[in-house]
Amino acid sequence: MPLRRTASDDARAHLAATLIATGSEDRAAFRELYRLTSAKLFGIVLRICGERQAAEDVLHDVYLLIWRRAGAWEPGRASPISWLATIARNRAIDWRRAEGSRRAAPMAEAPEIADPAPDAEAMLVADGERHSLLECLEELEPRTRAAIRTAFFDGMTYNAIAAAQGVPAGTAKSWIRRGLARLKDCLSRDD
Amino acid sequence: MTTKAPSSEPDVAAAELALGLLEGEERAAALRRVLAEPHFAAEVEDWRMRFAQLFDLWPEVAPPPELIERIDASLHGVAPAPRRRFPWPVLAIASSALAACLLVIVAQGGGIGGANAPVPPPVVVEPPAPLVAAIAGEQAAVAASFDPRSGALRLTAAPRVPAGRAAQLWAIGGDGVPHPLGLLAAQAVVLPLSPGDRVRLTPGVTLAISVEPPGGSPTGKPTGPVIATGALAAV
Repeated sequence: MPLRRTASDDARAHLAATLIATGSEDRAAFRELYRLTSAKLFGIVLRICGERQAAEDVLHDVYLLIWRRAGAWEPGRASPISWLATIARNRAIDWRRAEGSRRAAPMAEAPEIADPAPDAEAMLVADGERHSLLECLEELEPRTRAAIRTAFFDGMTYNAIAAAQGVPAGTAKSWIRRGLARLKDCLSRDD
Repeated sequence: MTTKAPSSEPDVAAAELALGLLEGEERAAALRRVLAEPHFAAEVEDWRMRFAQLFDLWPEVAPPPELIERIDASLHGVAPAPRRRFPWPVLAIASSALAACLLVIVAQGGGIGGANAPVPPPVVVEPPAPLVAAIAGEQAAVAASFDPRSGALRLTAAPRVPAGRAAQLWAIGGDGVPHPLGLLAAQAVVLPLSPGDRVRLTPGVTLAISVEPPGGSPTGKPTGPVIATGALAAV
């Protein structure tokens, strides 16, 4: 827990209150929620969907889902933005699966995922016990780290990753599995 | 167990499922484990929470300015449902694959866990977190939220069922046996749960809705089709 209240604490509290109000079918709160979160959520769906028109349609679906289901969010383990971002990511992945994952690589238009900025890491540390994922990712071989990041950020499956790397699926699976096991060890060690 | 990884390949199925690496039969197998193994379901949820840290790194992209008006307008709409149906994607990993597994379990009358899998004792730790599930099937998902402190289980409106039938809610834990929790209604309801039912509701437990005669199943087990399922998860 941070010792003093910061602007980002206030922002988080505002977002949580806005999400709760949205759950009570408050239209103004919904628009405020959209204003606060749509750029983050659009960044997510655009990258995974890989095409702008589809990403806009998926974002539309995502916010309808949020409107219907905001009442189910309760303050707890998931922060509001993680909860919302997970809806967006999963919805975009559902869309990809439905499309038969025609696309093997992320679109050129999608912005690059940055390496963790120092302030992002500081923020995560301030978030408490779950500070070690980024550190643990850093301990992996670059190739494995890149594959795990690709799975997360691009919604790519083993088969898609193997195809993109030009290796047999079994090969990609084997080294990603070992990487995940190392990640798991590292995370449990640091807890 | 369909995942017969060589000993050199560790079991990281929870992480693979949380990341979305799996497809086809491997994904179905992992989803079956979510149903059958509460600690596996909890592990998947834990990985999701861990990976969620990476959302901080995701670059923002402003959507087109007119999109909010389209979205806002569709909230009014007579039929705001999205063009494609999809299961509630967040905490519940329920999917049609999972629903299919559930039917198998119900059909086998105790199935996966079977007689050799004792009911894990409820582990009560710390102040319990609220649990949510989206019970999804062909129709819009029913949202369930359970507050372990008050014991209240809130549910949004029931899916449509044929005239003269009722939508009944079940909890299915590690033993694979459905336990009746109550009937849903056309409006949101709060089901009063007995203490015995409250302790059943832990992360990873599946909630399912079946179509039953008015007043609920006369046998204490689902007699009609299971039309929606979803896993409980902490928020």
